[in-house]
Amino acid sequence: MSRAWLRWMPAVAVPAVIAAGVLAGSIPARAGNPLPEKTPAQVLVMLGGHTISTLSGTVEQTSELGLPELPSTAPSSGPASAGGAASIAELLTGQHTARVFIDGPSKARVQVVDRLAERDVIRRDTELWFYSSRDNSAAHLTLPSFARDLPLAEPPKAPMPPDQAPAPMPGLPKPELRAPDLPLPPVPAPDMPIPVPVPMPEYSVPTPEDIATRLLAAVDSSTQVTVGPDVEVAGRAAYNLLLEPRTQGTLVGRVAIAVDGETGLPLRVTVTARDQAEPAFQIGFTSLSLAKPDDSLFTFAPPPGATVKELQLPGARPWPVTSGFPGSPGMVVTPDAAAAEIYSRTGPSHMMPAMARPSVTGTGWETVLGFPAAPAGQGSALSESLLKDPFLAQAAVVVPGGRLLSTTLVNVLITDDGRIFVGMVPAERLQAAAGAVAK
Amino acid sequence: MPSSVPGELPNRFPQSGSGARSRGVSTSVPARDRAASSIPLLGSELSVLFRRRRTWAMLLALAAIPVLIAVAVRLSSSVPSGRGPAFLDRISQNGLFVAVTAMLVSVPLFLPLTIGVVAGDTIAGEASLGTLRYLLVAPAGRVRLLLVKYAGALVFCVAAPVTVALAGAAIGASLFPIGPVTLLSGDVVQPPEAAVRLVLIAAYLAVSLAGLSAIGLFLSTLTVVPVGAMAATVVLSVVSQVLDQLPQLEWLHPWLFSHYWLGFGDLLRQPVLWDSFGSNALLQAGYVAVFGALAYGRFVTKDVLS
Repeated sequence: MSRAWLRWMPAVAVPAVIAAGVLAGSIPARAGNPLPEKTPAQVLVMLGGHTISTLSGTVEQTSELGLPELPSTAPSSGPASAGGAASIAELLTGQHTARVFIDGPSKARVQVVDRLAERDVIRRDTELWFYSSRDNSAAHLTLPSFARDLPLAEPPKAPMPPDQAPAPMPGLPKPELRAPDLPLPPVPAPDMPIPVPVPMPEYSVPTPEDIATRLLAAVDSSTQVTVGPDVEVAGRAAYNLLLEPRTQGTLVGRVAIAVDGETGLPLRVTVTARDQAEPAFQIGFTSLSLAKPDDSLFTFAPPPGATVKELQLPGARPWPVTSGFPGSPGMVVTPDAAAAEIYSRTGPSHMMPAMARPSVTGTGWETVLGFPAAPAGQGSALSESLLKDPFLAQAAVVVPGGRLLSTTLVNVLITDDGRIFVGMVPAERLQAAAGAVAK
Repeated sequence: MPSSVPGELPNRFPQSGSGARSRGVSTSVPARDRAASSIPLLGSELSVLFRRRRTWAMLLALAAIPVLIAVAVRLSSSVPSGRGPAFLDRISQNGLFVAVTAMLVSVPLFLPLTIGVVAGDTIAGEASLGTLRYLLVAPAGRVRLLLVKYAGALVFCVAAPVTVALAGAAIGASLFPIGPVTLLSGDVVQPPEAAVRLVLIAAYLAVSLAGLSAIGLFLSTLTVVPVGAMAATVVLSVVSQVLDQLPQLEWLHPWLFSHYWLGFGDLLRQPVLWDSFGSNALLQAGYVAVFGALAYGRFVTKDVLS
């Protein structure tokens, strides 16, 4: 009997060993061979100059935007069956995993992995297919042929929401994007915080270093750009490019971009809200292989029994919104970009023309976009349709002067007279902007 | 042998004396012989398990699930897509989906129920029949008995999903056309490849149930009332699944043994996504280690009175 405690030893030791193993695994492993020191400009050059054109990897996106949690979806019901803003919110909340396969500029496949379901976007040259396994529906889109020879959507495309696949993703063809990895504020506002360094055809081609230096100089007044301690992403050592707004008047605390130390490929983007420890939004690779994916992956034919829809490219050129989520690896998040991105995903795409001329208040990170209520009723129809959406109606809170859709990174104010104000700023600033524009 | 021993006991000793001797005097038997003599012990354990009417009743009940699904789909009009369990709408186009749907349907309750009965019965069943002390004449035999009992439960973990898959494929093939199978990714594979995927799913489920079996084994060492251990095991599996649904407990989810149970859909992608298989196997191994150690601690220190 005196040895009875010995018999219980394994029962104590095994959990202890497991706990120790878990703890050891959660401590970020320091790269044994730290990367050589680099300045922010050098890291930016790496980022802009990477030549990775083939990869396959798993991308994981997590967001804690403070939106109401959607009920956990049962295997039978899910994002495909929920419509409108709820499905967008579904993509913006919680956790999503996607597998990405890219082979050169014209072959790509993104698989958004849902539980017992999958949404696919497959591109081979000008053929673009969307597929949703939930309702076995496919949609086909033929891209204009000139898109083929353009550097379309450089490697890490974010997990796109094919989502029923009715609407072509805004800006996927990206016809005139020549420098895809450089930050491109999508809204051409008059007092844009960052001059767009897009090399025009007649423009003498600047070296990447020039662009990086100029870009850094341009953003320096609003943003502190530093290189933090190296991080490890998807098993690779990476530089950690940190962008911190110098102003207190924004919700964004810090944007961190992990840049692969070997290839310059952006591996992860993390956006942290002010005064928050946990990232509000993060998208990055959890596994990555630079080998050429199997070519058969990019061949898609609608499976038997699938409903196939033929899509047309909208006649009007879509907004040059960069593809993917705000902060997908491969683009630098600017406040306007993220705000507009979120907005463009909140509003149905055919309403785009209605908000073509937003008013802009504030600069840099404090930019507030205001969308007027169009006299034709388009604008108010937009805000009405927004509020009619059951999900948004539930998420929006009534505040003086309108309704507020509040997240940790972006606030959206829909005023009572149908105007919409968007900004990565506290709600009071939106209300102030609404008041100022009204006068 | 005492007359009080139930009729089942002789089944345990196919070669009458050898099994009994190895159990009785195993303290002095070299380790290699002990390992070798575990095989007839396992054989007798399996023959007892699979000669029970209860085991067959459970396997038949599991086999009835795909049959019910297939007949219901056959008799009804076409299933609108997006309603009912996933894959249900695919059945009328391809019979192999009967097996997938049946496995999906049986994961939350039916499989854990049968595993709970088998694993909960392992030690407590012997104790309640009064046969445990005959199996444990020497203390050193306890570890081996525990291992053999657990191995028997594991064999049932394999048999149960395989039964569902086989019955599903058979009834699907007889009621519906069999053809190329559309995977979740929209790619189409031929029936032989689809059969491989079915086997993989059955293997995934077998692995998924290993942790629950270890829990059942441990609970079974705590009591002499087998029904108690069975019920506790099944209740735990339900509790684990309920906890897995609560977003407030998100930090806990990766640690719940039922967390990856429905992850077998990843085997139906093209290419196969092995992440969940790996995570699941690791998690189940952890549960087997922890509850195996607990069962060991309890069983070797236990006073066996019956």
